[in-house]
Amino acid sequence: MILLWKLYKRWRRRREAEASLPVVDGPSGTRPTGRPLPKLFVASLKMLVRDRRTMIYALAVPILFTVIFGVQDFNGATHVKLTAVRPAQATAFAQRIVAGLERDSAFRVTPTANLAAAQKQLRDAKTDAVVVVPPTPHHALVAYYKPDSSNLNFTLSSLSRFVDAANLRLAGISSPQLRLAERSVEATDTNYYDFLLPGLVAMAVMNLSILGVAIGVTRFREQQILRRMLATPLPPSKFLVAQITTRLLISLVQAGIILALGVFAFGGHIHGDPAWVFLFVVLGNLVFVNIGFTIAGRAKNADSAQALSQLISLPMLFLSGVFFQTSGALGQIVRVLPLSPLVTGMRKITLNGESITQTGSQLGVLAAWVVLSFLIARRNFRFDDAGERRAEPRPGLRSLLSRAD
Amino acid sequence: MTDAAVEVEDLVKIFPAPGGEELRAVDGISFTVHVGEIFGILGPNGAGKTTTLEIVEGLREPTSGRTAVLGLDSRRDRAAMKELIGVQLQASAYFDNLTLTEILDLFGSFYPRAFPPAGLLERVGLLEKQRARIKELSGGQAHRFSIVAALVNDPEVVFLDEPTTGLDPQARRNLWDLVRAIRSEGKTVVMTTHYMEEAEELCDRVAIVDHGRLRALDTPLGLVNALPDAYRIVFSSERPLDRSELAGLPGVHGVRVSLNGTASYELAVGQAQQPLEAFVGWAARNGVIAGDLRVLPATLEDVFLSLTGRALRD
Repeated sequence: MILLWKLYKRWRRRREAEASLPVVDGPSGTRPTGRPLPKLFVASLKMLVRDRRTMIYALAVPILFTVIFGVQDFNGATHVKLTAVRPAQATAFAQRIVAGLERDSAFRVTPTANLAAAQKQLRDAKTDAVVVVPPTPHHALVAYYKPDSSNLNFTLSSLSRFVDAANLRLAGISSPQLRLAERSVEATDTNYYDFLLPGLVAMAVMNLSILGVAIGVTRFREQQILRRMLATPLPPSKFLVAQITTRLLISLVQAGIILALGVFAFGGHIHGDPAWVFLFVVLGNLVFVNIGFTIAGRAKNADSAQALSQLISLPMLFLSGVFFQTSGALGQIVRVLPLSPLVTGMRKITLNGESITQTGSQLGVLAAWVVLSFLIARRNFRFDDAGERRAEPRPGLRSLLSRAD
Repeated sequence: MTDAAVEVEDLVKIFPAPGGEELRAVDGISFTVHVGEIFGILGPNGAGKTTTLEIVEGLREPTSGRTAVLGLDSRRDRAAMKELIGVQLQASAYFDNLTLTEILDLFGSFYPRAFPPAGLLERVGLLEKQRARIKELSGGQAHRFSIVAALVNDPEVVFLDEPTTGLDPQARRNLWDLVRAIRSEGKTVVMTTHYMEEAEELCDRVAIVDHGRLRALDTPLGLVNALPDAYRIVFSSERPLDRSELAGLPGVHGVRVSLNGTASYELAVGQAQQPLEAFVGWAARNGVIAGDLRVLPATLEDVFLSLTGRALRD
């Protein structure tokens, strides 16, 4: 960001220096022009920011996800709402059980005498479980549950733990010999939202670059804009540089907004140095821009560009661990997809607080993808129209770049 | 400085077509455009007009042959050549999400020197639209903008590809005035069209192209005068007339009759006076009242028909 700011300052200074020169009109009224690259960069940025579709994919959707997941409670249930049905005759045993339930911090107990009413409450999801307290020992403690309850596992395991502890107490054992101590394998304590945040950054970058470039550039070609620019002395490489750098800038802004929103508004955590997250964003963006140009070179029109983009990005979105880790053989395969090292590398930094040197393998895979995807894009992307006369050998990017200056 | 604004020599462009065949889109075309003229390339869709222009503009590689603009080869001197030309491809070939001013400013920056956008827009009456986008313009305005955008670098040679296609007659006439104004600045205009009245009205010289070949090249009047039947004597008659008698009149090469309501007759003639005198005398002798009698010159449509055996807009 600082680098970009410095570049901008340098450009401003040059602009001001140029502006202070006396403007000499040519014999016909023409004036010397500025440098094309800064103008192309600014124009490309304006076009992106003004393009509603790009902004929806690039900013609105990821921000919406950040907010939606942000207001969810991913720390898990902290207690179980329990309705305890007392037996008809109030025995001392039954009272001890109810008192034990009430003492247990895992439960919020509502005592009742009416089983049918309690079961109705359970069906209406007003309570997590209904337990029928037995009057005497050697009867079962019957627990009714709702199979589609969201914290069913927690409810049943809490009840099971309570029954085990109660049995020990009843057998007169006050200090058990074996205890369970839970420790997170990660260096830091994180929840699902923390896990999700880097995934959302990766999703935003992928959508901006694959969908945005594929659809945007295909539309340029359909409208003959690319060809119109080829009819000017502008080297095509400068157009490509402007397209890529504007997307780099926007992807950094995306990542910044998502992470800031997640951390400051919804209490997410970033344990490592966020600067390295931005390094991953830059590398990932380069890969996805190349994929976008490849699709733009192949697609007949903007609609097919959109379909192709989604064919490539949607499976990656769900398989490469944005929302959940993929396990098994599939997990091994998707590990080499470009989205996986991006997500994994960012998570190592944000979740585990690892430094960039510990993400060497992710950086390596991603860097390999940058090179590979560039080579693929260079083979497939064409400035010229693919539609009208497909069979015609069109000038490739290589010849365009070599003839550029 | 050469007098030739554009040179095209033995130009051939072959596209491989599906099934191993080949499409000879441009099949040995040669012509020279002089500095300061409006040069029209007239032909039906698919005749090879656009391909020819694109090769001259350096947008396509020819299969063989050579093209040059103001002595600069379209391939070897491509970069220098592009600074001297202005190109209009089609009306919508500009960015959707930029204003007119921003587009002109951006395209100007691709050249070493360029006109400020405001002056260009004022020239075509679009100054109050300077903050508008292309899609907010009417068809005529969008066409005017696409032409003025081709002038941003003060080019010597301006290429217009079907500049008036899809416009109503009024908007088309406005554009013709704009093209004439460009020529009056000493620039050369090369344009394609499939409207013969446009070529007739606007162009100093017209190249007629069909199936990738140059069929004829001359001034519109020269093309028409070269026809064996450069004029038509047109009239109507309430009484049916004997065709063979009309065809036998001196100087009459052919007779066409169309029968809707009163019969109208067309006599194809090489020149006007002698056949007209013969016809008027014949009518007086036979008591024929020729209504609506006129002598009309042939059109480029007739030229195209006689050169290719089919109508321009088939």
